[in-house]
Amino acid sequence: MVFVFGVNFPEQRLASLERFYGVGPQLSERLMARFHIHPTAKIGALGGRQITDLNAELTKLTIENDLRRKIQDNIKRLRDMGSYRGRRHAMGLPVRGQKTRTQITTARRLNRVDRKG
Amino acid sequence: MPPSTCLRCLPIRPAPSPRPVLLCHIALPPAQTAAFSTTTNLSAAVAKKRPNSHTGPPKRGVKALNIKKTQRIKSGRPPAPGERKALRKRIVLSNTNALEVQGMPDLSDKNITDASLVCRVVGIPGLVVDSLRAVEAFKPTQGWGLFRRPAALVRKETLQLGRYIQEVETAEGKKTIRRVVVGERGSGKSTLLLQAMTMAFVKGWVVVNIPDAKDLTIGHTEYGPLFNTNPTQYVQKTYTANLLSQISKANKAVLSKLQLSQQHDLPIPIQSNISLDRLADLGARDPDVAYPIFQALWAELTAPSTKGAVRPPILFTLDGINQIMRYSAYLSSDVKPIHAHDLALVRHFINALSGAQALPNGGIVLAATCESGKPPSPTLELAVAQSEARVAGAEEVPQPHPYKAMDQRVLDSMRDVEVLRLKGLDKDEARGIMEYYAASGMLRERVDEGLVAEKWTLAGGGVVGELERESVRMRI
Repeated sequence: MVFVFGVNFPEQRLASLERFYGVGPQLSERLMARFHIHPTAKIGALGGRQITDLNAELTKLTIENDLRRKIQDNIKRLRDMGSYRGRRHAMGLPVRGQKTRTQITTARRLNRVDRKG
Repeated sequence: MPPSTCLRCLPIRPAPSPRPVLLCHIALPPAQTAAFSTTTNLSAAVAKKRPNSHTGPPKRGVKALNIKKTQRIKSGRPPAPGERKALRKRIVLSNTNALEVQGMPDLSDKNITDASLVCRVVGIPGLVVDSLRAVEAFKPTQGWGLFRRPAALVRKETLQLGRYIQEVETAEGKKTIRRVVVGERGSGKSTLLLQAMTMAFVKGWVVVNIPDAKDLTIGHTEYGPLFNTNPTQYVQKTYTANLLSQISKANKAVLSKLQLSQQHDLPIPIQSNISLDRLADLGARDPDVAYPIFQALWAELTAPSTKGAVRPPILFTLDGINQIMRYSAYLSSDVKPIHAHDLALVRHFINALSGAQALPNGGIVLAATCESGKPPSPTLELAVAQSEARVAGAEEVPQPHPYKAMDQRVLDSMRDVEVLRLKGLDKDEARGIMEYYAASGMLRERVDEGLVAEKWTLAGGGVVGELERESVRMRI
């Protein structure tokens, strides 16, 4: 088991950083390239130096709970201003002018003031 | 004469017999009677309306699509990590059901330039088979598992290789021969490399083989920058360790007799008179020191021979050269693709192939292209065409396309490398190998001129892989 940014990875797991909220394919590729980690590397095969570097780099980024909180703050700011977008968030309806007759399941799921992810 | 009765008035079919009159039918109107049923239409249940494209989408909460998921039946334990790969890469070198071919000569250091062996199939000596297996010279796609023991056809190009080996050994100033083997798919390029390795092993040379260059460039092994290099080179330590283990295993007989003769700056302390096979083993054990040890080993192998320490010639081979004549799948720290020539091992080979790094004890550097799943490498194609034109003494050497970017590093590396083009076998060679198939009991037909001509033609003009496929593998 290897700890990367507070998460316990099994050694046989591929060293993909997309497990973290806020790290997508592009950022993951960049980070792995920076520390010379090839795309099919297993976590167990990484050197101690690479893991500490990776941890340091991930700490600098706004990911996981920091990113969630940032998004919630943004939505809360809109709501407090009383803007249309804030109200739509609060109502759980589409924010950007989509039709509401059908197909708003995603908005119902995600658009809320205390947005989960 | 017209008939006396009007034809129109004649009845077409006989009049129906009067219907039997039943009491229950009397009251019913004729439209409600069913021809073959005694049940009335009205009392039948109303058919349920089936949903179709006109009925619109199903109501909310109604499950519209009702497909049962097929249950995956789990039988036995799942394959262990690496088990499936081992199965995929498994090399079978013997078929106990095939007949032993009587009177088949073995390749030896005496007969590698014997012209009378051309068109005959020659066995690979048992000791060499182990070495060849260690350097992964046998490929899983080749048909070794069809015959009793490993053997290969001596063709004209094989004899040519034998002559190269003799040339290197007898040359005054320790000659290096550098060739790239090209040819269409199935034309026997990898087998020719294997034959070269066989000859080198029986001659007591040191053989270093990179079995598939794809492994180096597709980004599946560890890599890391090499410090103090400009442009930055990248070391693949795990691959290097594996290569060292292969070198040590395959060349044990030769390397165990050679000892360290120079001072090397290595990260681990080593005995001053350690034998070279043990040195390679040390590198194979620890990937972190593999590359420095590989460099030390190469320095030792290419150290000038003295009376006390004679260094043997080297055969350095690589299969799949088109994989290293392009950008690799690795990324540098600023997220730019790394050119394959910046990978340390690849560069090492390219230096040897281009002649930038000499082999002072002589040797042969051989590379073969790989045609299956080959990546586009237009510069290599141009370089091959240029080389062929140069050798043929053509007046016009092909020039790069003016509006297409060419890879200058590839052109530079191939500047004075000669090309050995493998074409199809000729009829005599085809006959030789087909007689071997028949003697092994794998081809159950009389090998005569007609059959040879038929198979030769069907094999696209004697392409040996196709010839094997249609004569031995294919069962209709």
